Amino acid sequence: MKNQVITFASGNEMAAKAIKQIGYDLMGYYPITPSTQIAENLDIMRASGETDLIMIAAEGEHSAAGICYGAAVAGGRVINATSANGLLYAMEQFPVQAGTRYPMVMNVVCRTVSGPLSIKGDHSDIMYMLNAGWPILFAVTAQQVYDFNIIALKLAEQVRLPVVVAYDGFFTSHQKCRCFMFTQDETVKAFVGDKKEECPFLDLNHPITVGSYMNEPDLINNRYQLHHAMERADEVIEKLFDEYYEISGRQYHKVEGIGCEDAKEALVLLGSSYDTATEAVEELRSQGNKVGAATLHVLRPFPGKELMGLLQHASDIVVADRQDSYGAGGGNLSLEVRSAAQRYERQMHIKSIIYGLGGKDFFKEDAKEMLTMAGDENRPDFMYYGITKGKKEKTQKPLLAPVTAEQARIHATEVIDHKVTGGNLNAVTAMPGRLAPGHGACPGCGIPVNLNLLLKGIEDPVVFLFQTGCGMIVSTAYPKTAFKVPYLHNLFQNGAATLSGVAEICYRKQQKGEIPPGDIIFVMVSGDGGMDIGMGSALGTALRGHRLLIFEYDNGGYMNTGYQLSYSTPLGAKSSTSHVGKNQYGKTFFHKDMPRIMEATGIPYVATVAESNPTDFIRKAAKAAYYAKTTGTAYIKAISACPLNWNDKPATERRVIEAAVDSCYFPLYEVEQGITTISYDPEKTGKKIPVSDWLSMMGRTKHLLKPEYSHIVLKIQDEIDRRFAELKKRAEQNL
Amino acid sequence: MAESTGKQMKFREKLTGPKGYFEIRLESIGGLGANLCGKMLGELGIKYLDVNSCSFSSYGSEKTGTPVKGFVRYCIKAKEIRDHSPVVEPDLLVIFHGALMKDESVWMGCTKDTVVILALEEGDDKETKDITFGHSGVFYGLPAQRIAMDTHSRINVVMLGACLRVMGVEDISVGEKICRDTLGVKYPEALEGNLEGLRKGYEEVAFLQENSKGSEYAERKQTTRWGYDNAPLGGINPEFGSTIISDLSPSRQGYIPLFIKEKCINCGLCHSTCPDMVFQFEKGKYKGREMMVNLGLDYYHCKGCLRCVDVCPVNALVRGVEAEHPHKDYFIPNRELLRNPDYYEKAGPDGYITSEAYLTEKRMEGGEV
Repeated sequence: MKNQVITFASGNEMAAKAIKQIGYDLMGYYPITPSTQIAENLDIMRASGETDLIMIAAEGEHSAAGICYGAAVAGGRVINATSANGLLYAMEQFPVQAGTRYPMVMNVVCRTVSGPLSIKGDHSDIMYMLNAGWPILFAVTAQQVYDFNIIALKLAEQVRLPVVVAYDGFFTSHQKCRCFMFTQDETVKAFVGDKKEECPFLDLNHPITVGSYMNEPDLINNRYQLHHAMERADEVIEKLFDEYYEISGRQYHKVEGIGCEDAKEALVLLGSSYDTATEAVEELRSQGNKVGAATLHVLRPFPGKELMGLLQHASDIVVADRQDSYGAGGGNLSLEVRSAAQRYERQMHIKSIIYGLGGKDFFKEDAKEMLTMAGDENRPDFMYYGITKGKKEKTQKPLLAPVTAEQARIHATEVIDHKVTGGNLNAVTAMPGRLAPGHGACPGCGIPVNLNLLLKGIEDPVVFLFQTGCGMIVSTAYPKTAFKVPYLHNLFQNGAATLSGVAEICYRKQQKGEIPPGDIIFVMVSGDGGMDIGMGSALGTALRGHRLLIFEYDNGGYMNTGYQLSYSTPLGAKSSTSHVGKNQYGKTFFHKDMPRIMEATGIPYVATVAESNPTDFIRKAAKAAYYAKTTGTAYIKAISACPLNWNDKPATERRVIEAAVDSCYFPLYEVEQGITTISYDPEKTGKKIPVSDWLSMMGRTKHLLKPEYSHIVLKIQDEIDRRFAELKKRAEQNL
Repeated sequence: MAESTGKQMKFREKLTGPKGYFEIRLESIGGLGANLCGKMLGELGIKYLDVNSCSFSSYGSEKTGTPVKGFVRYCIKAKEIRDHSPVVEPDLLVIFHGALMKDESVWMGCTKDTVVILALEEGDDKETKDITFGHSGVFYGLPAQRIAMDTHSRINVVMLGACLRVMGVEDISVGEKICRDTLGVKYPEALEGNLEGLRKGYEEVAFLQENSKGSEYAERKQTTRWGYDNAPLGGINPEFGSTIISDLSPSRQGYIPLFIKEKCINCGLCHSTCPDMVFQFEKGKYKGREMMVNLGLDYYHCKGCLRCVDVCPVNALVRGVEAEHPHKDYFIPNRELLRNPDYYEKAGPDGYITSEAYLTEKRMEGGEV
């Protein structure tokens, strides 16, 4: 046995430690809760020089999977981590990688698949992977996350298949506990061994083609090879578990059980719930009950034989699933157990229970209750556990009235001949709220401030679509909603496209006379994160020219998930995926110029706004609404304060925004029908400040003021100056 | 610690008791550092107390000001901790903020044997204390916020010190060690203050009283209004604007904006900067001109960010200490309400912050106490 040390860590931390010790070449990833901490922890190690892992923050999971695939084909050792809809978004790529037989490892930190959107843990995501051709190891504890990560790569390379290490989001990923890890990285490296490439892709002297065009009669043979690899994985896994025992002292098997030596009734479940259930089994057995519990450490290839062997004395089984295969009469685990029982000719009564969806806690008492159901003939064979019926309620008089078109027409702004007047801050207070107070944004948050300024300039009825982000999370936490107008959420890859569909049906219904005529402004609201992963959808919508308004609040980071870098984060800013350390100064590339990208689609109106110039903001909102109802797509981008993650004071955010504008980091301008106009030129008013003044106001960028980072500040200043000079030139020449 | 008439606690005895665990629940508000406190307690167990331990938080909701629960379990070294469920019946309940003591769910599973540590400040009102001591429990307390301010530390280390004392840990040096391990490596400049806060917490925590006949509630039932029988299909929510019944005062950190109406020029800047739609404007007259007039604030929705104070050009909005203004002038309920809500629901900001790397770093640097 090799030397190990005790560490107090969570599942995500243990995954990161294993990845570091293995010495992977590359991680391609996109942050998604609850898997993000893996990348965050590795980024800390990168910043301090503990690892030289190449970390690529993709603009979405689909791209992350692509980066990983390319890196694996090129012969790198590659790691990824994702969850829930991130997994599904990338799904198309997984059979490609398995079918072309390039090994890598991906941690799937299990989380509920939307919608309605939930961030908590269940197994609805991992079960989509069952047919992808990837072996799936399932870790019950943080210790197993570490151990299985080490075993997984060796397995992957031995059978030439990509491998998943799955574990429970939050329960396993976030709970900190006692774990062991090898003292020496070399121990881990020696166990995994050197990577051998059979046909190196980058061997220019022996060129190969990867990804042939293949139909019948050949494809079935390729798939048979894949099937064969999976069968080989079945043999290899047990061997690797034994080998790993030699160095670690921890012996794993494909299945694990407690009390199964004589249990008549047994509970089968996946993940952390099994661990909790063992305490229930111990307690019940101490009272003389012959009960047991079992779990699987391997989901693919499915260890049916081993499971049936383990449950050899059991006659009544309850299989509890943290997901449902709707319409199949059970979750996927229960279906597999039923199929194994039939295949190995076991006479047993199997009940399926769906429990713990959306991260509903699982207590020892729940396990006991489930075990009593096993042999109970009065309980159905399939049921949902832990559901609530709901109370009868008295109908109550409404608290609020919907906003009528007349009420919204406050005549505070006017657009005539493409000229806007008005926007007086006193007059616009008359605008009824489309957003009710009581939302859950952090104190001082810029999002509702920007939304309200936008809405003050829109004097027509509004229909909203919000992409995933802080804005939707804080406003629609069930069973409450802050919206007083129609509102739809869709995942942030796809908001603009979704709103295109809404708008087109509205116009059709109005044409047919099914709903009253009259202007409606369709507004898509997105953070800068949504404009990364959803950029394609927004560009497609703009190119098609649907009559709607895209509003981006740019707080320069994925704030909703704990501030990972976005493509709009300033160069050099620290974030949880761009830490500052001796080997790293923060984010390594410039903030994305999204308005410039939107301009290229040729839409009639593009504008930037800031709360520090509120009248300008409101007027631009009015103009954008005008274009959205008469012409085509309009796009407005606001810089939006985030006191929590900018690490500054909530009270003074407007001054920080003003500094961003005055430094020309965020210049205010509009591009109307292709003509650029600068709305506010701080050079002309004598208010121009160096960007360092702005950077010094926020905790996330304050470090850049140190002498050792002066070259970074210079780079930012140069880029800002270049962009602003170009803008001025275009404005001067009416371009 | 004042001479105790309360039961002296020895956490180790619980490890071999019927439950086999010593369980701690931390009740806090996002930003006070309870998450880190839980982590330090957990790590301390393994490194210096010769026990096995685990710690975790109520993830899913950790924006500034949001209620946060932390959980710690200790057991004997030889045993594995296999229970991953939240702590329902804590042996030690630690409450970080007076605003939480009025919330029933904070007291879940608290019995006459539960030891409770309260962060009680001089300014906490009588109602808070009455509700608190109406529960069963063995109560200890200390003015954690004041200590944190005096020592330039954070509430979490002060509470950590108090926990160690009450748990019967005789040597504070183990606490100092864990602070050095956790806080000291990255931020040596903040370490001395934190160690001082830890020691003060250990020294100043005092037995207050015990109550064996107070209210108890052990249910861990989740209540929900809409169930499968009556929830609109697909998660649709037809109750537009229903957040308006949220009372967000727990988000405030001691300060509120005060309105001096005589000075107000009705410029609307406060309305333009308020994220929480607090200001109530109505058609009226100002200096003989018809215009929108600022009537006042709906303090139910004010989170105390003080953006309005910063932008007010005439000092008609100024910062005030909330405790000094129990009856707020110009408290105008939202003008869009058709009727008074039957009740307001105490709420904090919501959402999910589920990563710690950046926040831990930031909070260690100081800032919010």
